[in-house]
Amino acid sequence: MHRSAIIAASLLTVMVTACGSAEEPEVVEQIIVREPGEPEVAATPTGADGEINPVALGKDAFQMCAGCHVNEAGAPSTAGPNLYGVMGRVAGGVEGYPYSDALLASDITWDEASMDGYLADPAGFLPGTDMLAGAVPDPDTRSAIIAYLASTSE
Amino acid sequence: MNDMTPEKKERSTLAKWSRRGFIGAGVLAGGGLLIGIGVRPGNPIGSLAPKVAAGEGEQLINSWVKIGADNIVTAIVPHCEMGQGAHSVLAQMLADELDAAWENVRVMQAPADGSYVVTDTARMFVAPFTMNAADWIEPTWNGLFTQVARLGDAMITGGSSSIRSTGQHSMRVAGAAARKMLIGAAADSWGVPAAEIATRDSMLFHQGSGKSATYAEFASAAAEQPMDQTPTLKTSDQFRLMGRSKPRTDIPCKVDGTAKFGMDAVPDGLDLSYAAVVRPPVPGTSVTAMDASRAKDMAGVLQILNMGDFVAVVADSYWQAQQAINTIRIDWSPSDSSIKTMDDQFAAFAAALDEAGETGGKEAAAKGNAQDALAGAAKRIDAEYRVPYLAHSPMEPINCTAHVADGKCDVWASTQVPLMARSAVADTLGLSKDAVAVHQDYLGGGFGRRLGSDEMAMAARIAKATGYPVKVVWSREEDTQKAYYRCADLCRMRAGLDQQGKLVAYDSVFTQRHDPPEASVPAMYSIENTKVRVAEAPLHLPFQAWRSVDHSQQGFFVESFIDEAANAAGADPLEYRLSMLAAAPRHKAVLEKVAQISNWGEALPEGRAKGVAIVESFGTIVAEVIEVDMASGKPRLSNIWAVCDAGYAMNPDGFKNQIEGGIVFGLTAALYGELDLKDGAVVQSNFHDYKMLRMNEVPNIEVVLINSGDVPVGGAGEPGLPPAAPALANAIFAATGKRIRELPIAKQFA
Repeated sequence: MHRSAIIAASLLTVMVTACGSAEEPEVVEQIIVREPGEPEVAATPTGADGEINPVALGKDAFQMCAGCHVNEAGAPSTAGPNLYGVMGRVAGGVEGYPYSDALLASDITWDEASMDGYLADPAGFLPGTDMLAGAVPDPDTRSAIIAYLASTSE
Repeated sequence: MNDMTPEKKERSTLAKWSRRGFIGAGVLAGGGLLIGIGVRPGNPIGSLAPKVAAGEGEQLINSWVKIGADNIVTAIVPHCEMGQGAHSVLAQMLADELDAAWENVRVMQAPADGSYVVTDTARMFVAPFTMNAADWIEPTWNGLFTQVARLGDAMITGGSSSIRSTGQHSMRVAGAAARKMLIGAAADSWGVPAAEIATRDSMLFHQGSGKSATYAEFASAAAEQPMDQTPTLKTSDQFRLMGRSKPRTDIPCKVDGTAKFGMDAVPDGLDLSYAAVVRPPVPGTSVTAMDASRAKDMAGVLQILNMGDFVAVVADSYWQAQQAINTIRIDWSPSDSSIKTMDDQFAAFAAALDEAGETGGKEAAAKGNAQDALAGAAKRIDAEYRVPYLAHSPMEPINCTAHVADGKCDVWASTQVPLMARSAVADTLGLSKDAVAVHQDYLGGGFGRRLGSDEMAMAARIAKATGYPVKVVWSREEDTQKAYYRCADLCRMRAGLDQQGKLVAYDSVFTQRHDPPEASVPAMYSIENTKVRVAEAPLHLPFQAWRSVDHSQQGFFVESFIDEAANAAGADPLEYRLSMLAAAPRHKAVLEKVAQISNWGEALPEGRAKGVAIVESFGTIVAEVIEVDMASGKPRLSNIWAVCDAGYAMNPDGFKNQIEGGIVFGLTAALYGELDLKDGAVVQSNFHDYKMLRMNEVPNIEVVLINSGDVPVGGAGEPGLPPAAPALANAIFAATGKRIRELPIAKQFA
């Protein structure tokens, strides 16, 4: 095979694979919530009486968990298992999720105490766990997250 | 030789091409000349100077090198740096020919400009293709190739080509030409013959008069010297930087965190918003309904866009955009594809192979009469091999920042093809190419994933719709599930052996043939009757070149099957290969060397065994021996040896790094890499279910290089990969008797 022919063929392959559509597709629907720099109407985690709502606080705090976990009925697990219904459930209960051997062997039923211990120091609480990130050092944040998880459990 | 030799005729045509080519490429009259230096007609520095020589006192010597008032030499490199080290080695090649002081050499990414089409460099400076050869010309460089390059916006980093094409054809030539111009300027000024002027460490010397000067002192005058189109290049015994393991220039900034990747782009003066996107889970489908009722009320959200072929949420931060888009319910149109699972995909492949039968399909290579030879063979072996779809999974997520304003579009992107990205954006927005500027920094990995331009076109559409600058980031899940892929394939192979076990007939048929065209042909082996056929079948997931492209599956097919033939012949697999390499002395030497360093044939503890494979790809011959430990019942890598002949390794350490990277990439695929389909959509989503080989799983890798001399220089980025899977599979066979005919391997021993 001639060298240049090979290189030219390579280029052509790249060209063919790189050719996309050339039309400018229309925007089907555009919902403008606000412009950049405009203040948002803040959602406050307080009830009508001004009391702080721990579930709402916990829902906000759950953002730190949401990199790996979803908390939604029927949603597929992402990097971590779906946490919908986790409180009161036996550890390792999401079917088909590849849990660590340590977690499967742990015999834990998730309650406030065990979840608090686990979130405070996952690897210390359960050596061998795959949850390497996720320690929540602040106890109030932990209890808010647990309140939120409990609100989405039976 | 007379004036009418084809060689000279080619050359004169080429010289005309050069001038026309550059003028045609858009030399802008009076285009912002630097420091009042006149530019010779046909020399491209007129149009390029304002784009690359921005510093005070900098003078552009020619398109690929500039010398500053501080005597800093800057190599302007038309390839991207995606971890492969090309920037550094290309600068090394230029600096060596220029006799520049290495510590004062810097590297600059060439702008995405048509003048840096990689073949312009070849057309302008007709360089010898081989390392030390004289000024002969590759005949097809001229017409077809350059036109293909220009039409295809071929400013490409891929095909393991940076060093062997741009390095050999332009960086070295540019360095040598610049040196000659500097000498010419000094000779004129000092009134001495040019031949008496020596150069070293960015300095000019004249022994007779005792005069000396820095390059910077003559930089301006040098630009007015005639530019030699075919300067004499160094021979390898004259190299001072080439062939040396100079530390890479891009490592310090990557260690201290100051390196900027495409993802880091924060264009001056622009307040960025951020977008997350969701593309169709099944290729070719589109949005039929979108419920964004929850997303509208979520923190940080600015806009929600149904673009028809995807959905985007724009927010104050990427995280807010991603959280909001996760709550959007999208209905997608039904898919036309009948392929819903991998079983369906392999059934489609099998149907195409069934139809091709023993002799059908498109012929990819043929020698002798394989069908007759198979019929007459003393012994026959038949086997069917398969490989799955694979994702590229570069560490830097797919991203693009775009700003559309005043009829222009700027994009900041990590791309292997900046000019194609520019065209894609221009086409998408209905702008001229000149109205689109592509800016790029380092790429956090490419592996072929960044040969496409979808994310640039999408970002441009989002930025146009919002009217403000937006950085679009694909989640890892989007890239794993909705991108472009190494193809799956099925391959049926037949071999015939004579009474002595000699391989006399070889036939293979498969469905996917992309690039390079010779990847499926066992051309190095002396087999009298060979036939290679392609029976095309549709792919459900879109294809994109993946590190080593067809070699990634064909290396596994061919070198595993050769191992089967050796076993059928009752021969040692390495000896069997050597017996077929009498006409391929470089391959033979590589294989003999790997046998030596791996102590092939030594007695090993129970459960351990070695496997071998050899593949030539992208101009480089690589043989690998892998030792596997099967004592636990699961494959554990215990040792890896590789020997490579690339003709000449310009930076031996960098070359070895690339081979090691290719091996690890190949073994990741061999052991774990697999994408499943469910209802036509990719199942795997992130690194938890699309596993990478980890540090603790990778044993010592010993790489030995052979510089076999005056042959075309080979590539480094891809050639380490193809032998890895078959060497491992062959080792497992040697240890267990189980022949691996399907990847990935790990799950077969779970």
